[in-house]
Amino acid sequence: MIGMSASRLWNRIFIGLALAVLAYAVLAPLTSLSAAQSLNVPLLTDRLWFRIATIIAMFVVMATAWNIIGGLTGYAAFGNVAFFGIGAYTTGMLIAKAKWPFLLALPLSPVAAAAFAALVGLPLLRLRGHYFAVASLGVGVAVGELVQNIDYQGQPMFGGASGLFLPIFSIGDRGLFFFYLMLGAAAISIAVTWLVLRSRFGYGLIAIRENEEAAAVIGVNTTAYKVAAYALSAALTGLAGGIFSQWNVFINQENAFPIEYNVQMILMALLGGTGTVFGPAAGAVVLQLLIQFLSGTLPVTLSLPFVPSDAMPVIAQIILGLMLVIVVIFAPRGVIDFFGGRSRLSLAYLRRSLRETSI
Amino acid sequence: MEAAQLELENVTKRFGGVAAVDGVTFSVAKGEILGIIGPNGAGKTTLLNCISGVYRLDGGDIRWQGASISGLAPHKVARLGVGRTFQVVKPFGSMTVRENAAIGSLFGSEQARLAPKAAFKQADSVLELVGLRSKADLPVSALTVPDRKRLEVARAVATRPKLLLLDEVMAGLNHVEIDEALDMVRAVHKTGVTVVLIEHVMRVIVGLCQRAVVLNLGRVLADGEPEVVLRDERVVEAYLGERYAKRLKD
Repeated sequence: MIGMSASRLWNRIFIGLALAVLAYAVLAPLTSLSAAQSLNVPLLTDRLWFRIATIIAMFVVMATAWNIIGGLTGYAAFGNVAFFGIGAYTTGMLIAKAKWPFLLALPLSPVAAAAFAALVGLPLLRLRGHYFAVASLGVGVAVGELVQNIDYQGQPMFGGASGLFLPIFSIGDRGLFFFYLMLGAAAISIAVTWLVLRSRFGYGLIAIRENEEAAAVIGVNTTAYKVAAYALSAALTGLAGGIFSQWNVFINQENAFPIEYNVQMILMALLGGTGTVFGPAAGAVVLQLLIQFLSGTLPVTLSLPFVPSDAMPVIAQIILGLMLVIVVIFAPRGVIDFFGGRSRLSLAYLRRSLRETSI
Repeated sequence: MEAAQLELENVTKRFGGVAAVDGVTFSVAKGEILGIIGPNGAGKTTLLNCISGVYRLDGGDIRWQGASISGLAPHKVARLGVGRTFQVVKPFGSMTVRENAAIGSLFGSEQARLAPKAAFKQADSVLELVGLRSKADLPVSALTVPDRKRLEVARAVATRPKLLLLDEVMAGLNHVEIDEALDMVRAVHKTGVTVVLIEHVMRVIVGLCQRAVVLNLGRVLADGEPEVVLRDERVVEAYLGERYAKRLKD
């Protein structure tokens, strides 16, 4: 290792660590297969592990998808959970009411979410800065309310307040199946981002983020590009929602349109590094593990003195909020900035960031 | 001289009750270097914004190669081959100098759009033309003000325009830098690009332009050879005020 600069060393350690985590995540579930069990392979996973790993993969999809509109295009979308919910209810309704098979219904989730995003995006994306942020948040809240409250011939159209029950998808190992399905969606999201960043489309989005007026006069069709980015982001988020609905078997306003997801996916992308390919995914893994740890669902738990265990979820929210503040102020380009070989984590870096982010 | 490439006919743009551009008519021939001058608030930048589609006209018509382009969105005007720079430079801040230039080639003129790889290749020759080749790998934040103005021109040139609209690319530069900038505009013009430039520096107008249009209060005050136009009584008056102009005459 002599002659290697410290940042490159860190870079390698980071990549090695990421690969190890990924390899474990992909391979460990296989030990639960009955074929592996009969060969006396030690069991590396259990039901809890599947649940948490699937949720993590789901957030990788959402954070990576948010990055396309929020990170690449620079439009702070605060209502992306609407697309998750639309995806969940599209697959949910097709299975529960129209009796479609799951794998036939699922592809329509991204289509429905993208179509909706294009429709609301046309007027919404004319707004800039915090106006767009607030308007998109409004849409996110409104869609959830609509889904719960729309009646058709006296009956709640989408299951109403009591939610929507889906028939269980019959497959040998459900936990394994849905984990790999969600992991596949995560891989697709990352691959899509990678492709976008190498295309004319991606450069156009970055140009819009950096200066929309300048982008327009070099020939970027800003309206079409913004709407396309929003729809693409929605499609991926909707895919995660569609998988979630069949995985969870029951959906309602609370679990298909959770307002806190809006903040969480943004925080994940910010923490990892907006505008990058792997940043949001890394942020999603780290932050979701932290959320699970703080709320006590992991085997390892945290117990603070003077804090009753039922107050931990509140404490978790406070810690997350503090993290958001610290990340935005001191590492505006995300933690991935330290591993790209561009910057090194140092006091000078933090000071420089503070100068950049303050008035 | 060839037929007019760009024709402005009674172009009018109002903001509230004020007509910032008020019935402006002139045309630009292919291959020309035309200077637009006038005191502050004369409507020069507004006129440029009208041509490039940033503003919608309140009256009149703009024709590009014979067809009307008034009402077209900025990206459509750009795709027809009209490039422009901004008076206050608008670089893509997170990108390197090369990326800024390459992105012009990725978009711009419709017939000649390049794929990413080819665009990056062409970026270097554009940077060579404006004298930024040695700084291609620097982030924009490392550039000085004159270099940022060059970059603004480079990005516009990379779109392969037939007509380039330059908005005060030499304002704030010192004498040496202006000479370099003059060479840059001449080099761009030599590649077959028609140039329309807004400028306050008279040396630039006289040294570069074949023709000058003087705007005052949104109207065309004079149109002709730079030396003649600058000696025009009304032009001197517009710049210096009535009393001073009178004194100058006496």
